[in-house]
Amino acid sequence: MSGLPAENDSALLLHPHKRGLQNLDRMAQYRDDDEVDLAVVGAGAGGSVLAQRLARRGWKVVVLEKGPFWDPDRDWVSDEKGAGQAGLYWTDNRIISGGDPIELGKNNSGVGVGGSMTHFAGYVPRLHPSDFEVRSRDGVAVDWPISYAELKPSFERIESELPVAGEFWPWGDPHGYPHKPHPVAGAALVAWEGARKQGIEMHVGPVAITNGRFGNRPHCIYRGFCLEGCKVNAKASPLVTHIPDAIEHGCEIRPDSFVTRVEIDNASGRARGVTYIRDGVERFQRASVVAVCGYAIETPRLLLNSVCRRHPNGLGNAADLVGRFVMVQGAPQVAGRFPELLRMYKAPPPEITSEQFYETDERRGFARGFAIQTISPLPIGWAEHVLAEGHWGQSLREYMRDYNHWSVLGILAEFLPLPENRVTLAHEKDAFGVPIAHFSYTQCDNDRAIVAYAKKLLEEIWHAAGAMDLLTIDRFAHLVGGARMGFSPDDSVVDSSHRVWGIDNLLVVDGSVMPTQGSANPALAIMALADRCARLM
Amino acid sequence: MSPLRDQAHPNPHGLEQLKGTTPQMVGRYPHYDVLTEVDHWDEVTRRVVLDRVERVPPIRFFAEAEARTLKAFCDIVTAQDEEPRIPVLSYIDEKLEHGVGDGWQHDDLPGDGDVWRMVARGLDDEAGGPYADASEDDRVRIVHRFSKAELRGGVWAELNVGRAWGVVMRYVVQAFYSHPWAWNEIGFGGPAYPRGYSAFGSPHLREREPWEGVESAHYDPVRDATKRRLD
Repeated sequence: MSGLPAENDSALLLHPHKRGLQNLDRMAQYRDDDEVDLAVVGAGAGGSVLAQRLARRGWKVVVLEKGPFWDPDRDWVSDEKGAGQAGLYWTDNRIISGGDPIELGKNNSGVGVGGSMTHFAGYVPRLHPSDFEVRSRDGVAVDWPISYAELKPSFERIESELPVAGEFWPWGDPHGYPHKPHPVAGAALVAWEGARKQGIEMHVGPVAITNGRFGNRPHCIYRGFCLEGCKVNAKASPLVTHIPDAIEHGCEIRPDSFVTRVEIDNASGRARGVTYIRDGVERFQRASVVAVCGYAIETPRLLLNSVCRRHPNGLGNAADLVGRFVMVQGAPQVAGRFPELLRMYKAPPPEITSEQFYETDERRGFARGFAIQTISPLPIGWAEHVLAEGHWGQSLREYMRDYNHWSVLGILAEFLPLPENRVTLAHEKDAFGVPIAHFSYTQCDNDRAIVAYAKKLLEEIWHAAGAMDLLTIDRFAHLVGGARMGFSPDDSVVDSSHRVWGIDNLLVVDGSVMPTQGSANPALAIMALADRCARLM
Repeated sequence: MSPLRDQAHPNPHGLEQLKGTTPQMVGRYPHYDVLTEVDHWDEVTRRVVLDRVERVPPIRFFAEAEARTLKAFCDIVTAQDEEPRIPVLSYIDEKLEHGVGDGWQHDDLPGDGDVWRMVARGLDDEAGGPYADASEDDRVRIVHRFSKAELRGGVWAELNVGRAWGVVMRYVVQAFYSHPWAWNEIGFGGPAYPRGYSAFGSPHLREREPWEGVESAHYDPVRDATKRRLD
């Protein structure tokens, strides 16, 4: 196995047999009236990496996180419903609407130190070089103001820190991974067989799950509860990959602290800190630089709520772009039924992937494409699958009794960024008096064409594999966009260095800056962007 | 024999549970009881799961009449026509009383608790009296129409009926399939920390952990479900 990263000791700072962080007792404590060098809003994929990088360079950093500081031993359970009860998902209310309203919560929203990566499945594919120039190549959406080449070293650094396990990756910019691929369980093997027969190449990984000891993080035990929070510390999340090292270098992670406003100094026009609520008390943290890292819903919500004299429509919103171009990925799943017992609850849900249909192929009748991945829902997730096809009563029970005979393939389809797909502030307010987010979403024709094509392809894979019966569910995954990065204040919210146009010391460092999303699960790209951003500061 | 039972099990002997508990003592793994594995679970998970069996929460969110209607509804949608029943509504009530939803609300629906209350009212209206007192045929028929978003007028005019079905059924399946009795029925391994899994390779080798259940099915359930037009 390859070694530990040179500039991140997180894996060594963990305890080999306890999952909670070991250096909390020596964590720095800053006062509200200390002007810290950087206040980060949100301890997820973006905020945690940014904080760790800058803390290592000697910056005084405070990360304000709405949720708790998790101890996986104490707080997390090997149980589907229990994970929600433990509070892993963002369950504060949000309003959804549009032609294709997107369900939130456990599917795409996290809270607490580590963010939604604490309950992500673990897939960490890279974006392809083409993702950064889809306007130039394919005539859709927009180009990024940065190239793949500029982000490549960041992808490599993050892959070594998570670490990522997988086969050599032949798609996009071909590359290898630091950990060897995990074994493939029965449910994924039947899918793989079907894909082979259809001439579709699939490979094992890439997942941010240790395959072998990594510092004091143990090997995966294949218990299948990745989406409920890893009790093993084998699956990566910032809680174990970046926060321990950040703390060791003087960063304070301040949990249970909900930032309600970024405050702008009216005279200078610069951000001067953040207003936040902790223990029911409103407080103000002074900071030289503020980085908003709240993801595609909470970042626009915070920027829009931070109205002030200079910014009557919210921060970075002079061109009415904050909250717009929020994207989800089309993620329908098709399940196949086999005579054998497959017991898909075993092994990590993410196992094998194909990116053969990632790039535009005009013969297919749409721009861009999709990835194919195995997914293995636990019983409640599987019941939602069965329900979606209209089964209830005895029919539901019968399909559920058949659970162990099924295997599930899903796709991630690149949906295009559209201005009407946006986050706005609702009239309703939350417990802190802040307007809640309203997220409206509707697909475009290209989105629908990709999904229709991909669903048919999955059905063909299952037929080739010998499936006796199929079940299909339409769903969506991930959230990016809402504070897009671009070339000028007229086309974007932040510049290529993540600075909000017109407010030099205010940054957005999370998935909301992504102008497009490819067909890749976004966690790796968000961390890589944060790594790159830190190097520019 | 009730119509629901008739629809369910032309041959119930093939599904009889012989160990532990399953809802209605029906299951595909007759000698499998996940609750004999509790010593292999971590303490935090064990407490959460055993509470579901040992400490059924009292009804607090719903009024008595609402609870009676909705309990009858939950029995129909989960095909629970006799004991032992998973007390689905008790867990739903607990979640609503706790006041933490799943993180979203459609703009054409009220909050989840209000959706549930309106559904209770709507079911009684459809039944022309307490839904629980309607004949089983009527209770099934009303649910069928609810599932197809075909209920109209009265309370239903104030709701997006299809989405309301989605909301309540999400709560129902979460309550039902988080219960270890349901895991026995379907052969789910349950909590798996710290033990994990080792036998998950080739399906052709019929690999299983020594403690996992052995399936016993006397007919092909998929073809059977099609034949009986359950789908």
